[in-house]
Amino acid sequence: MLQSVLEPSTAENATLFHETYLAAYRFMLTARLLDDKFAALGRSGRIHGGVFLGRGQEALSAAAGVLLKPGDVFAPLIRDAAGRLAFGETILDAARTYLGSARGPMRGRDGNVHRGRPQEGYLPMISHLGAMISVVNGILFARRFKKISGTIGVASVGDGATSTGAFHEALNQAAVEKLPLVLIVANNQYAYSTPVSRQFACHDLADKAAGYGVEADSVDGTDLNACLETIGRAMTRARAGHGPQLVVATLLRLCGHGEHDPADYVDPKLKNSSLGRDCLKVAEEFLLDRKRLDVAQRGTIREEIIREIEAAIAQAQREPAPDPFSEEWRAIATKHLSETHEES
Amino acid sequence: MPAIPIIMPQLGESIAEANIIGFLVKPGDVVEAGQDLIEVETNKANMTVTSPCGGQIEKLTAQLNESYPVGAALGQIATTNEEIARLGLEVSTAAKPGDTDRVAKAGNGGQNRVRPTVRGLPVPANAAGASYLSPRLKARMTEMGLSAADLAGVAGSGAAGRVTVEDFEKFIAQLEKQKMSQASTMRVAVADAMRRSWTRPIAHVGMPVCLDPLFAYRKVTRPKPGPALCALRALAVALAENSAPAGRLVGSKIVHPSAIDIGFAVEAEDGVLVPVLRNADKRPLKDLVAPYNELVELARQRKLPPDVTGGSIATVTNFGTFGLEWATPIPLPEQTLVLGMGAARHAPNWDSVKGQFVPIMEANLTLSFDHRVLDGGAAGRLLQRVAALMSKPDTL
Amino acid sequence: MSLTYLEAIREAQARALRDDPRVFIYGQDVGVFGGAHKATKNLAKEFPGRVLDSPISEDAIMGLAVGAAIEGMRPIVEMQFADFSTVGFNQIVNQAATLFWRTNVPCPVTVRLPFGGTSGSGPFHSQCMETVYAHYPGLIVLTPATVEDAYSMLLEAVAINDPVIFCEHKFLYYHLKAEKLPSEALPVGKARIAREGRDMTIVAYSAMVHEALEAAKELAPEGWEVEVVDLRSVKPIDTDTVMASVARTGRLLCVGEAWPWGGVTAEIIARVVSEGYGLLDAPPQRLNAKDTPVPYHPNLWMAHRPTHHAITAAARNLLRK
Repeated sequence: MLQSVLEPSTAENATLFHETYLAAYRFMLTARLLDDKFAALGRSGRIHGGVFLGRGQEALSAAAGVLLKPGDVFAPLIRDAAGRLAFGETILDAARTYLGSARGPMRGRDGNVHRGRPQEGYLPMISHLGAMISVVNGILFARRFKKISGTIGVASVGDGATSTGAFHEALNQAAVEKLPLVLIVANNQYAYSTPVSRQFACHDLADKAAGYGVEADSVDGTDLNACLETIGRAMTRARAGHGPQLVVATLLRLCGHGEHDPADYVDPKLKNSSLGRDCLKVAEEFLLDRKRLDVAQRGTIREEIIREIEAAIAQAQREPAPDPFSEEWRAIATKHLSETHEES
Repeated sequence: MPAIPIIMPQLGESIAEANIIGFLVKPGDVVEAGQDLIEVETNKANMTVTSPCGGQIEKLTAQLNESYPVGAALGQIATTNEEIARLGLEVSTAAKPGDTDRVAKAGNGGQNRVRPTVRGLPVPANAAGASYLSPRLKARMTEMGLSAADLAGVAGSGAAGRVTVEDFEKFIAQLEKQKMSQASTMRVAVADAMRRSWTRPIAHVGMPVCLDPLFAYRKVTRPKPGPALCALRALAVALAENSAPAGRLVGSKIVHPSAIDIGFAVEAEDGVLVPVLRNADKRPLKDLVAPYNELVELARQRKLPPDVTGGSIATVTNFGTFGLEWATPIPLPEQTLVLGMGAARHAPNWDSVKGQFVPIMEANLTLSFDHRVLDGGAAGRLLQRVAALMSKPDTL
Repeated sequence: MSLTYLEAIREAQARALRDDPRVFIYGQDVGVFGGAHKATKNLAKEFPGRVLDSPISEDAIMGLAVGAAIEGMRPIVEMQFADFSTVGFNQIVNQAATLFWRTNVPCPVTVRLPFGGTSGSGPFHSQCMETVYAHYPGLIVLTPATVEDAYSMLLEAVAINDPVIFCEHKFLYYHLKAEKLPSEALPVGKARIAREGRDMTIVAYSAMVHEALEAAKELAPEGWEVEVVDLRSVKPIDTDTVMASVARTGRLLCVGEAWPWGGVTAEIIARVVSEGYGLLDAPPQRLNAKDTPVPYHPNLWMAHRPTHHAITAAARNLLRK
């Protein structure tokens, strides 16, 4: 969502653009610092289970999140910490979920990146990659029935997900139904340890769009500028009824699949290429260059964010964990149809 | 030539295996159907394995002094197709020694079926048969305070004659049509004790004992010991000499008595009480008379203190007081023996010295015992000893 | 006016569409064509824009239904054959079935599965899928055996706020007829005593209820009164009704058209033995299809599944124990 930081917005596009850029940068930085925090907590054994970061993908994710409007739908995936924050998820939600607070949105029933608030428009992912796309389709499909127009849905996937049947079926379905879906593929070169050469045989994932009868755009995922521009364009087209839009971003995953993964398999050549540059640094340099940010301000922003993060972590850590004995062990909403098994 | 396996047969109910103790034939011998081939020993008796058909012994794979289970192949007989057809036999091909559970049908495409090693075990593998009580039946019986003994008179209509819940409910309904009165607590307790005792194999032996020496002894003795007390003391002395007959069998162990405490049955109201004379082997007969009489009186009044009941290793019962000459009492469930004394009577006894029958006073002495612990021989010897001791009352 | 089991299903959908604007039907060939089994015949015409054809994409079909449910709709998904639902299995058991538990947002999707065998259908048009779905927490699984239940339970399924797997038996589509639609019905979750008896209980569901009733009829002249319980739903199972029946009769035979390993018959027996051991006068028995895929040839098909002959034989055996 947009946040006016420097001055009240004017009708001037350039100012709007810079505001958006700055807002996105702030979300990127927050995501990076939050990821670092989770990594540290994970290393010190304070997180139960896996820790999954989005280092290297903040620009792409923040761009999507910041450009989405209230009422839109977002299905973030593993590396979308920045996009989630930009779309409105609180740091506290992330902290609560990772730290196992009973007050988190998933109440301990799911963890780490599997979090969301469906009725506020962002969906908690299930682990099966590609599966969330058709759910976004369903929401958009239903809005047609309800005569709600002007909203779009963004589903975020990686290069690996494009191999799944779910991806294929969902994109095809969106195309057939001409749904206002923006499908953002973050091609970060690796699906866990599998390089793209083992993932797909087409030259460019964007080429797939033609097969589905949809429009596609490619973008340098490390460049926030380019991401904002490309995603903005795709969203505009989707909102205007052009049908599903495929955006394929090229970048490099700058962390392991999870924090348990040292990712020794990543080709050092990629790390050293422009593909491997840190989008956060690139964005900072851009802002510093354009004098939209100075070093002192950067430091201030950074400290503010760190304080916010630490407050959220501290609060989440103070909160109670779920109590199995006061849990209602029922998986359906219809109480009288749940079977009660007397277990000693 | 086709070959027929020589199989260890089912030699008797509950026999699972037998030991090879001798061969009556050797490979090459020509035999007839039914001819004895191999001698085997089971835990019951020595038996023989006979030939399944006429033919020639091809090989004997069983080893001397080895045990083989019922159904095991012990050897092979070469025979003719006519003989096979005549007797309706199965043919073995290349059955390896010890390959006891695979017998392939020749000429049937080598159809291999795994056959059980032991054929026709009499033990039911699933719940069927007259003694099976279903969970529902057990639940109903528990509800009504009944045990399997109460169902003895119920004819079962279920598989193999088991009593089904329906049979049970019909039985109860019938009972309720008849006059019923409440059994006393004593009656129920005795019933339970007798039922539990009866789960053991109980046997009885008996012999007449001459009471003349005892009656003579009584004439000149004060206080006067009765024949039953005399028998009790004699039993105590005999058991002190050899306590094994009064031991209890628990699993595979014999539990020996620690003290020769003998109880005696006293009829009281609706049942029987059994006061106990402790260490009866260490107290002479004359010292037992007063305590015995006192205990009898207390028993009749149902005023026995707790320390004088329980813990006895054998019981004496004087059924002669009811005029009975013989009886087959049931030992207490925790005891192996009950010595019984019948009514004294005048009887003719052959006097070989005088060469004629002379009148004596005689009574039957019986011993009822748990046959798992002792056999007729030991029971007889114990009874003989008791009788012998009773013929010399002054030594008791 | 008499109507078939299939027509009842159609009537129920028509009524759902009419009464609730949130309902729509989505699946392959359901639109103008009226569905492969004609379960949605004329509905696209009567309710334009609400009965929609999908691509052959069971995964995306289910995902879309979940999304629509999140947005407040009440989708009815028709899987062309239960056997094909495996392609959408992930979305059913991992997306739809976990949504409420994970997020507290209910998922009111109804998935209609034409299931069960008809002669000549073969391994991939005959399967009974209720077992695998009942096993997953978060799903309700219904197996109506009568025309009336097909109607009333489908209506209730749409009204229930949870994902419902509605198993409609293909053999019963045209073979079962009723005089009229019911005005009231047993609620979902309650089993029905299809035939009262005294000597033994047969628990069955869907088409097997009719086979069981036929078997009971055969046994009656021999003096046996066999009670038949129609489960109606296999998740939840109305354990109380089953238990009360076994309390009356003491003997239990469970019949299912699904395969032997696990399954509804195993579940019933497990419950009766652990909670009602003292009610049993004989070991509980079950009859299922053979442990192979469903065969194509009628000779093989007829031997593969329990028939009233097999049920009668099993019942006699149990009555004699």
